[in-house]
Amino acid sequence: MLVQAQPGTGGLSLALSLVTEASTLGHWVAVVGVDDPGVVAIADLGVDLRRVLFVPRPRGAWAESAADLLDGVDLLVVRPPSRVAHGVARRLMDRVRERGTVLIALCEPGAPWPLPVDLSFDIVNAQWTTSSRLDARYLTVRVGGRGEAQRGGEHVVVLPNRRGRAAAS
Amino acid sequence: MERLLAVWIETLSEEKADGSSLRDYLEVLDALTILCPFTEPVRLGLFVLPVRGPSRFFGGEEALLDTVRQSVCDILGYEPSLGVADGLFCAELAAHAGVVVAPGATESFRRGQPLSVLARKDLTTTCRRLGLRSLGAFADLERARVAERFSSAVLELHRVARGECDELKGQRDGRLAARIRNLRGDDGLGEEQIGFFGQRGAGDDRAQTAAYRVRSRLGVDAVMVASLRGGRVPEDRATLVPFGSPLNRVDDVAPWPGQLRAPAPAMTLQHRVTVQLHDESGQEIRMGSRGLLSAPPASLLFSSQVRRGVTWHAGPWPLVERWWAAPRRRAHLQVLLATGEAVLLVTEFARWWVVGIYD
Repeated sequence: MLVQAQPGTGGLSLALSLVTEASTLGHWVAVVGVDDPGVVAIADLGVDLRRVLFVPRPRGAWAESAADLLDGVDLLVVRPPSRVAHGVARRLMDRVRERGTVLIALCEPGAPWPLPVDLSFDIVNAQWTTSSRLDARYLTVRVGGRGEAQRGGEHVVVLPNRRGRAAAS
Repeated sequence: MERLLAVWIETLSEEKADGSSLRDYLEVLDALTILCPFTEPVRLGLFVLPVRGPSRFFGGEEALLDTVRQSVCDILGYEPSLGVADGLFCAELAAHAGVVVAPGATESFRRGQPLSVLARKDLTTTCRRLGLRSLGAFADLERARVAERFSSAVLELHRVARGECDELKGQRDGRLAARIRNLRGDDGLGEEQIGFFGQRGAGDDRAQTAAYRVRSRLGVDAVMVASLRGGRVPEDRATLVPFGSPLNRVDDVAPWPGQLRAPAPAMTLQHRVTVQLHDESGQEIRMGSRGLLSAPPASLLFSSQVRRGVTWHAGPWPLVERWWAAPRRRAHLQVLLATGEAVLLVTEFARWWVVGIYD
């Protein structure tokens, strides 16, 4: 899976919200390359922190760390620090297929994932609603990918809402 | 500096082969903790406790000293040496001498001490040849002159001598807390970190193996696990510790009045970023003593000279914490930038930082 967004527009929240369901079912999650994870926000989303491994600063070895973790966890969220080489992406996706795990890559539109993916989410718009504080954010997400997802379309989701969770708008 | 009461028990300061020093030390610690919950075990033979609160409770410093002396005597059968002064360094010296330094007299007490209390033979010898015999004379040396002649460790001592730093390096025993926990039997080291109702599945083992592999590749603190603890703001509530270290789980069930409500920022910056918050006319914004901003914010200036317009803000929400001891006044502010990003700012000491990004 691919989540594509400008930094600061909700890409991280969207990528993390995708793992909540599996996490509550007892699956393991790893988060690679997110240097300052907002632990409170992640817990608010409903992710079980007891089964999350963070590799905040993998330095040059993000791909190797991701490959190692794909052997052990069920879902992997990775934010590559720079443009991903074709070969690296190929190897990672081969391993994902082999292990039956889920890879969620978080990329910027300026440095996209180099290969076609099964399911992709592009955040095209992010709008905060406010009261006396930040209330909720409405994300307009363009869906793409293979198979069923090919039909695509744009959807609006609330992420985070007033309780820090994801919700339908 | 806080006025401290130091309790010095020389016979307990040496380790004994049968481990009785630590056991007795623990017993005294428990007794003193009943008198004052903020009693701190500094190292074997030495405790400190704040004077202000307990002396009010027991009816004055004299009464506090008597109570402490009596409760130690009840356990050990002999009296400890007590001393009162500002800061850990002076409090310990006062305890060795058994004196109560009057409020405000700590400075002259420190200056009158011989140089040997810094426990550096080379420093003492050199200074004696220069005719410097007291801490005060050493403190009067210019910092640059000290730096020319001595190592950086001595510069630290110089700061202590000047009263800019109130404890010596190595004055506290960093492992003591762990030893006490160990002796009490509530040591968390053997505890299993992960597990669901005590069960471990194959998935847990696989994940652990993978984590160890990444750890061996990148270093011990590369893989982190997170937990929540009590607190009012996201950066206080989050704990990230290296994988494999014992988790200090404090249940997050207690109410925290004034807690910053959800949504929380998806990125909590470990190293907060210094920024400046400006109003329309480019003036820096301050938060006044009544928790109000001096003007509505209009732009946010990063140290890289990048400037972002501020379209909306909420707060500030002031937090005054530990007002009874070492007060900490800070306030949080949510701002929306012209680029559509939302960030969480904190202000303290009239400065501003970004602590979270709502990514």
